[in-house]
Amino acid sequence: MSEYLLGRIDEFPEGKGRAFTAGTRTVAVFRSNGKVYAIANRCIHKGASLCDGMLAEGGKVVRCPWHNWAFDLESGEQCLDRREKIRTFEVKLVGDQVILCA
Amino acid sequence: MMNELKPADLSELKRAEAVSPDPINPKIRTLQVIDTDFHFSPKWDTLRNYLKEPFKSRLFHFPVGSLEYNPEPANEKPGVGQDTHGTAATGADVLRVLDQFGTDIVVLNPGYNRPQAIFNEPVIAAIASAHNDYLIEEVFPASDRIKANLMICHRDPQMGADEIRRVGHHKQFIGVFTSFSGLFEPLGCAKFDPILDAMAEHDLVLTSHSEGWFPHFSPLWTGARTWIELFGNAPAGNAMAHLAAMICQGMFDKYPKQKVIFQEGGYWWLPDFMLRLDDFFMSSSGDIALVERKLASGERNLKKLPSEYVLEHVRFSTQPITIPKNRKHFAWMLELSHAADLFCFSSDWPHQTMDPANWVVENPDCIGDEMQKKILSGNAHKLYGSRLQYFGVTQDGG
Repeated sequence: MSEYLLGRIDEFPEGKGRAFTAGTRTVAVFRSNGKVYAIANRCIHKGASLCDGMLAEGGKVVRCPWHNWAFDLESGEQCLDRREKIRTFEVKLVGDQVILCA
Repeated sequence: MMNELKPADLSELKRAEAVSPDPINPKIRTLQVIDTDFHFSPKWDTLRNYLKEPFKSRLFHFPVGSLEYNPEPANEKPGVGQDTHGTAATGADVLRVLDQFGTDIVVLNPGYNRPQAIFNEPVIAAIASAHNDYLIEEVFPASDRIKANLMICHRDPQMGADEIRRVGHHKQFIGVFTSFSGLFEPLGCAKFDPILDAMAEHDLVLTSHSEGWFPHFSPLWTGARTWIELFGNAPAGNAMAHLAAMICQGMFDKYPKQKVIFQEGGYWWLPDFMLRLDDFFMSSSGDIALVERKLASGERNLKKLPSEYVLEHVRFSTQPITIPKNRKHFAWMLELSHAADLFCFSSDWPHQTMDPANWVVENPDCIGDEMQKKILSGNAHKLYGSRLQYFGVTQDGG
């Protein structure tokens, strides 16, 4: 596990996803309701980039841009089948800087 | 356990690189990919210019057939079901999407199937002619990577045949589009022979595309209420009905060179379908002598087992693929459905259930290199023959 600097918090507009490479991983990062979330970018259904997804359910879930699968940003669980899960990553705020632990 | 970070330590951290990930598997871009089902939707203002009179001056709006009940409004994302992933209305639009998804050659289908449900055959035929003329004049010249199934009014077989004879010679038309929509009888019935006669003259593949949940054509679906029933389930039952009629009513005996590609009607039902038809054929084939084509030819039965017609004449486009979690099950399903020889990749772009080609190369334990190439392009080359030629990428994907 390493820590990566993602940028200033104001570079993450509310409700819009951004993708980053951290080591060998590609991670989708969302700012929603003032909090920053990081999840694996690749949808477990058919491989879409979740960073292009739409936030829904009051900003608690991201919907895949290809087939509408919904994932809980906090837990990574598929909302209709909690046994299906994508990986989530810890995000910290230090001053105005966003730090990813991946 | 993470150490507590202080602002002074930040300069020592690695910086993650912001990226725009390409969701298409890199291997896809090294192989030749033929998309056998891609929906093309010219704007009404464009299409109207190609309408002949009196339709041009009398049709002010795009006519759509009644669905009676359509669950699309219940979907949270606007446009779900039709143009969810965009709209291709020009040749340039098509080429942009092909590059986005790593596709080399595309077979366009009319993007709007609902006109087939209008109860006015001349209107459908006029729209079909306008659609075909627009393709010839403005879309095909953009690239020979673009092929298409020509649009007809399939509910009136003679009108359909006339349109095939009018434009079927164009080298970028490689098949004829029909959908399950708008038909009270399956396409295998002898009343559709004028369409097949005209197709045989031009060596065109028959595309039999999903739809047919419209309640006035399939009364059973009047009772369906949900997206899953109407869009997820109904097409498979309709596909089986069309295919069984083609086989049992002697279509392939009368047209021994005719090939058919089924689209969006599923295929995992094939093992049972083939075994069941063969079994019933062995025990109860007496009434086959009484169908129109057999009465006309004087033949008393089919020339082959029903399952043999499937293997010889019928192919299936792959979208929407459903993959079980159990790897053995997936391998068995592919084998039992003869996927290596019958499956032709399709995306169904831009509809909601659109499939990029990733799945073909991301299951190497079940789909090896050779089968990947056959599904992505080889089987389509065999199906469409020389009409699929273009001068960009070789057949081996080199």
